[in-house]
Amino acid sequence: MLETRNLSKSFGPIQVTRDVSLKLEKGERRVILGPNGAGKTTLFNQLVGELRPDRGSIHLDGADVTGLRVADRARRGLSRSYQKNTLFDGLTIGENLGLAAAVALGKGQGLWSDPLQSAEVRETVREVAAQVDLAPYLGARVDAVSYGIRRQLEVGIALATRPKVILMDEPTSGVGPEMSKGFHRLLKGLPRDLTILIIEHDMDLAFDVADTITVLNYGEVVFDGLPEAARGSQLLKDIYLGAWEDA
Amino acid sequence: MFTHTPLRLTTLALLAAGSLSYAYIAGFFGLEILAEIAILAILVIALDLVAGFGGMVSLCHGALLGVGAYAFTVAATEAGLPALPAMLLSVALSSVLAFAIGAVCARSTGIYFIMATLAFGQMAYSFVFQSPLFGGDDGLSGAPRPDLTAIGIDFTDSRAFAVYTILLVALSYLIASATLRSGLGRSLVGIHHNEKRLRALGLTVWRAKATAFAISGALAGLAGCLAAQHTQYVSPGLLSWTVSGEALVVVILGGLGTLVGPLLGAILFVVLKHEISAITPYWHAIVGLILIAVVMSRAKGVFGFIEARWEARSPKPVVKEAKADA
Ligand SMILES: Nc1ncnc2c1ncn2[C@@H]1O[C@H](COP(=O)(O)OP(=O)(O)OP(=O)(O)O)[C@@H](O)[C@H]1O
Ligand SMILES: [Mg+2]
Repeated sequence: MLETRNLSKSFGPIQVTRDVSLKLEKGERRVILGPNGAGKTTLFNQLVGELRPDRGSIHLDGADVTGLRVADRARRGLSRSYQKNTLFDGLTIGENLGLAAAVALGKGQGLWSDPLQSAEVRETVREVAAQVDLAPYLGARVDAVSYGIRRQLEVGIALATRPKVILMDEPTSGVGPEMSKGFHRLLKGLPRDLTILIIEHDMDLAFDVADTITVLNYGEVVFDGLPEAARGSQLLKDIYLGAWEDA
Repeated sequence: MFTHTPLRLTTLALLAAGSLSYAYIAGFFGLEILAEIAILAILVIALDLVAGFGGMVSLCHGALLGVGAYAFTVAATEAGLPALPAMLLSVALSSVLAFAIGAVCARSTGIYFIMATLAFGQMAYSFVFQSPLFGGDDGLSGAPRPDLTAIGIDFTDSRAFAVYTILLVALSYLIASATLRSGLGRSLVGIHHNEKRLRALGLTVWRAKATAFAISGALAGLAGCLAAQHTQYVSPGLLSWTVSGEALVVVILGGLGTLVGPLLGAILFVVLKHEISAITPYWHAIVGLILIAVVMSRAKGVFGFIEARWEARSPKPVVKEAKADA
């Protein structure tokens, strides 16, 4: 469903993505682990097209999308959420989700009707709100709700495009353990045919939701396999568990 | 997102009733002022659409108005077209030009966007100023008003002309507000808040910006046609960036991003101009002081101030509303 081949990227002398080759099957839920600065977000930026790789290729649903622009990849069913909230701050939560759904349904340039009133968009907003527990807040403005709610909206916006593949960049970063747990539950409730790639620092969550695990270190894939194998891996312990135990 | 609150609808109704009744009772001078206000109102509706809602602060709207005015004059005099087709043609020309400007400037934001639009505006200004086709500094005269004498309406009469301009303000407002409630308008507001995210959701951002600019440009072109018909004379000054700057002042004074506010701004600005300039030649200074006061008050202009007051009077139960919407 989503594949990279020998993806490489450097910022000046620093190589932040080294020959990364990944392959996600349809419906696979993969968690990316790795210490701070390992190049996880940079990998996402290349996957969605916000950053051009120096070398290598990206394939979505069988097609090479390496040369496509951000919006074109999104229209092919690729969606992402950001590590740092990237919301429509002055609008309500319902409008945030509605706008995302409207654009994804191709109504973002229409002149003759209000997409926010269309049955399709309203239905999507209702469904996504249920998926990420935002139903009680649809009428509230983004700047009036708590950080945790905004974090849920961050993922909600990405889901509102009804993607085939969703990339989530540390969806629970900065929220308390309670909300984090709630988020596990929400994740597990997502449709099984949705392909999910999550960057996550929380090991419990990682092992809880992952079908497969990829570990990045200094931009390089140092582990790629099943969660059970990851648990026992000495390599993973060496580079990652130290950081995990500190946290 | 743009909505018609009860306060906005009430204000619009009052403005419509007020301006039409004034058109009925006013003398020649009052009617001239009314037409002047109406023409400015169309220009600031056009500007608020892109600047207030899309964050695209433009300094080329004067030029778009000027292109409309010149195109109309040339089409109706030298090409000999009747007024109505000449208007359609010049509105289309302003609109196409605005689409091109919007498409080119779409990549830049903030101060760079402003400077790029300024550059386009000045290019149009010097072209019209220097080309032998357009009478240079002397401008062109003879722009006709539409001829509806066949159905008993005589636009050479100030009263009929004033009513006609007011009706076109209403039409412009309807076009702008319908645009804001369309998919494009929703995207435009989204672009203003977070362009990057909207692109990541799959919107071709440059096209949305250019289309919004084209609609705005059409309205500016319409204002230009009316300006030409009003004074029956056009000069390069119409395309000057100071016209754009003045329009921006009016939008901010009235209430950036409220669509209704700029209408109040236009009335305030023209009335102040005439009233104060009768007393002192330093009327710009007075308008400047008022603008500073408005900007410092951090309200969204005069109308934003009224809206804030209105909401303070009737406090909204935020949480309840949030629940009710679910
Ligand atoms: N635009 C950029 N220009 C230069 N260096 C960059 C840029 N973006 C990221 N980097 C560097 O690339 C490295 C990888 O950053 P990245 O954000 O991908 O890490 P990460 O794995 O997401 O870390 P974290 O867990 O802290 O989010 C870091 O050293 C960072 O400073
Ligand atoms: Mg990161």
